[in-house]
Amino acid sequence: MYIDKKEVLRYLGYHSKKIDTITNEIIDTCIEEIKEIANFNYVYRIFPIEKKDKKIFLEGTSLIFESKNLYAHLLNSKKCALLAVTLGNIVDQKIRYYSKINLSKSLIFDAVATTAIESICDEIEENIKIIAKKYGLHITNRYSPGYGDFPLSYQPKIIHLLDAQKKIGLTATPDFILIPRKSVTAIIGLEDKPSINKLSSCAKCSQNRTCIYKKDGDTCEYKKNNR
Amino acid sequence: MNIKKIIGKEFIFFDGAMGTMLQQAGLPIGELPESFNISYPEVIYDIHKKYIDAGADVITTNTFGANEYKLKDLPYSVEQIISKAVSIARDAAGNKLVALDIGPIGQLMEPIGTLKFDEAYEIFKRQIKAGETAGADLILIETISDLYEAKAAILAAKENCSLPVFCTMTFQQNGRTLTGTDPTTMVHVLEGLGIDALGINCSLGPKEIKPIIEKILKISTVPVIVQPNAGLPKLKEGKTVFDLTPEVFSEEIKNMAQMGISIIGGCCGTNPDFIKKAKKYLEGLYPIKLNNKKLTTVCSSTKTIVIGNDIKIIGERINPTGKKKLKEALRNNNLDYILSEAIKQKEAGADILDVNIGLPEINEKEMMPKIIKEIQGIVDIPLQIDSTNTDTIEAAVRVFNGKPLINSVNGKTESMKSIFPIVKKYGACVIGLTLDENGIPKKAEERAAIAEKIINTASSYGIPKENILIDCLVLTASAQQEEVMETLKAIKLVKDRFDVKTTLGVSNVSFGLPQRKIINRTFLAMALSFGLDAPIIDPLLESNLETIHTFNVLANHDKDAQNFINIYRNDSKKEEPKKLEAKKNLKQIIIDGIKDEAAQKTKELLNSITPLEIVNNYLVPALDLVGNKYEKEEIFLPQLIRSAETVKASFEVIKEHLLKEGKSNISKGKILLATVKGDIHDIGKNIVKVLLENYGFDVLDLGKDVPIEEVVEQTKAHDIKLVGLSALMTTTVKNMEQTIKAIRENHIHCYIMVGGAVLNQEYADMIGADFYAKDARESVTIAQKVFQ
Ligand code: SF4
Repeated sequence: MYIDKKEVLRYLGYHSKKIDTITNEIIDTCIEEIKEIANFNYVYRIFPIEKKDKKIFLEGTSLIFESKNLYAHLLNSKKCALLAVTLGNIVDQKIRYYSKINLSKSLIFDAVATTAIESICDEIEENIKIIAKKYGLHITNRYSPGYGDFPLSYQPKIIHLLDAQKKIGLTATPDFILIPRKSVTAIIGLEDKPSINKLSSCAKCSQNRTCIYKKDGDTCEYKKNNR
Repeated sequence: MNIKKIIGKEFIFFDGAMGTMLQQAGLPIGELPESFNISYPEVIYDIHKKYIDAGADVITTNTFGANEYKLKDLPYSVEQIISKAVSIARDAAGNKLVALDIGPIGQLMEPIGTLKFDEAYEIFKRQIKAGETAGADLILIETISDLYEAKAAILAAKENCSLPVFCTMTFQQNGRTLTGTDPTTMVHVLEGLGIDALGINCSLGPKEIKPIIEKILKISTVPVIVQPNAGLPKLKEGKTVFDLTPEVFSEEIKNMAQMGISIIGGCCGTNPDFIKKAKKYLEGLYPIKLNNKKLTTVCSSTKTIVIGNDIKIIGERINPTGKKKLKEALRNNNLDYILSEAIKQKEAGADILDVNIGLPEINEKEMMPKIIKEIQGIVDIPLQIDSTNTDTIEAAVRVFNGKPLINSVNGKTESMKSIFPIVKKYGACVIGLTLDENGIPKKAEERAAIAEKIINTASSYGIPKENILIDCLVLTASAQQEEVMETLKAIKLVKDRFDVKTTLGVSNVSFGLPQRKIINRTFLAMALSFGLDAPIIDPLLESNLETIHTFNVLANHDKDAQNFINIYRNDSKKEEPKKLEAKKNLKQIIIDGIKDEAAQKTKELLNSITPLEIVNNYLVPALDLVGNKYEKEEIFLPQLIRSAETVKASFEVIKEHLLKEGKSNISKGKILLATVKGDIHDIGKNIVKVLLENYGFDVLDLGKDVPIEEVVEQTKAHDIKLVGLSALMTTTVKNMEQTIKAIRENHIHCYIMVGGAVLNQEYADMIGADFYAKDARESVTIAQKVFQ
């Protein structure tokens, strides 16, 4: 697991500003600690997809995605990978623990955990890329519930389809919060030519208001790759 | 076939996977397999029949997820699905048995998730009642990762049906369940709850299960089940595959049978061939009888403490007797203070924590379970539930996640009658005090006699003596000097005669004498050498720990003094208290964000200036400075919070000082904070809290996922003028709106401020809030306005 300190700083709001030595040290210990305790687990599965009436059907399953943005994202895709990843609840427990004895550290620990889960997702994405290559396909970026008009209510459906509770202990609350907290579900398209579909503007993104990338004058990977 | 009669004497075969077979039958994935009981009953029947033909003694209904949470989008009720599923299985089973299958609910329980213990219990209860009514022969609770969920399910089964109950949990390769339970802890907790058989299923193949099952077989006193997958699941080309053949699988099963398992089945990837083969491999063999000796243990959900090997420390600090600050915290619902006491004791080396909140003005029965849940969510050591009220004890023991220690029962008939049923039902350990209707006897002999009465009566309830710790009771040396030695003699007598473990509230001995530490330390050493196993002490007192560490060396517990050397090797530095850099003033300390220094410096300052002067001359200017730097982006959130926590440390010292002087607080007003129902993000709320406290406000923090009624009630009860609500998800903002509505409908005159990532001014107006706080600093400004 590779944890990029720059990303951690970005989550903490230090956009390219210098950090004090104490914070710096705490970040380093948090990175070490996460590496030691995180018990990350993942599961993914690749499905052929069919598209009809602006809907996406996952073959052999009863799952249907209805979302314009996701449809655009998978425009050239023949298959898609459904992916669920979690850092496990020991990390949640640690964040809770630190929030009682050292709030500042819990904040940093939280940011490090977020960075860690993103980096694991990147690694899995690489695996999927290799599989796609075998079929002569390219992959799209990850797309998760909550992006654009793709609602969070797909969380439990994806979890169920992947049997992710049994396999990796991932669940969603009735309000669609993933538990363990540091978890991601995502969809990656497998397409025969790299798509150049443009993401609908940031304005349509559900992260829009709080987007940590925009604050930085930057954009997320997704936006970057779809410009 | 009477399963209770043959269990442990003959091998019992369950069936294999249902899901794998359904997929092979071509049923669509993504749909709830439980609905197939209604839509494809013949397919389900067929699968059952194949397992029966393969030789299964018990088949498992297709009801893994037939709970009201998972079925909520289906047109069928729990009862409909379960009764149909049982009847299909019944038809296929002939004279074989039908097990009602119960899997996890699909929601994580608090504090990891939002599902409450009682809710989980009710969900399971409904399934179990439906299953028994429909004619199931036994209950199989399986694939559970969370010990707490297992407890809810087992209690639901035990309290609502008369069928045998089996429970299997699922482990990872690191030897723990996903929520961190180890096999040893599982055995102690499940056995205590009165399970008929326990074991492992799913997640791993038989090879990987073996080392885990070995640990279970070493301690279990009930029959052990194994239902492995057909090998370790592997991802191939984006699909999960299992690669063991029935032969290899059966070879491994035979291996484990020779180690001591007696109930066998299969999980993911297995099919009737696996069961057939396994049965064949075990032909002519009989289960090995498990002859494990019971141990005295208490457990959290992830840790087992065995009492009797070396000295175990029970931390005594969470007890309001004689503690002003804790009393104050309990009255104000200040759970953070209690948690910090728990954490400190654990870090200092306590193995078990006593929790006593007995204060006349507190509703103990309500408060105790709440505090137990909070502590067990943060601290991973077992708890000792300490109350004189039976209802409080039961309420607390029920929600405790693990095997608790109850403090206490005594030799009075009345006490035993009310406490022992609880001890038995929840599989707890209990402290037995050697006193009865006639009080505490003077002589050791008489105390031993009471201990004997307690042990024997317990046994009549089915409680083994291993679940009892005898407390021979300490009297104060100042008042009853001649009886101090009697206590020690009694410890020895009790241990020799009845072979039970002992505990003792050591510090009582020094009441009324000066320099209590010295007396305690010496008495502790004496008691240990008389055979005391688990002293109840203050683990923050260095002298106590020193005595114990030394004793462990001298009594040959601490082999080669390894632990002792580790602790004390470099101790010369520790002796001198840390010197402060005299030049650094409090303001600078706050800006640098160094908590310990702030506390120490504040203590110093209190010798020369008033609390108010400290606040006005140091704390407020430092806060302003830090706040400005933050605004100018010279520093960032982690640093801002670190400074805020430093100010808080300073405030704590000031508060304590005022409390000692008997003066009231310098509070600027009380604010209630809560993360709304359904939402579990509380970092933002915690940041707001610490900043508000910095500016002199008292904060009543209700935590996260707070029910609407609780916000209303507490706002009323504490006459709150300003309520702060936080929500971080688009999906939970609706609960925020409802909370606001409920406050207004109850005609409570208070201001409401809201915050959270998905909110803005417009939205805040729309849901009826008075203020929108865009960040934590803003909430301070709002509070200052409201309390002007
Ligand atoms: S940059 Fe931010 S707002 Fe824009 S699309 Fe990416 S996540 Fe959404």
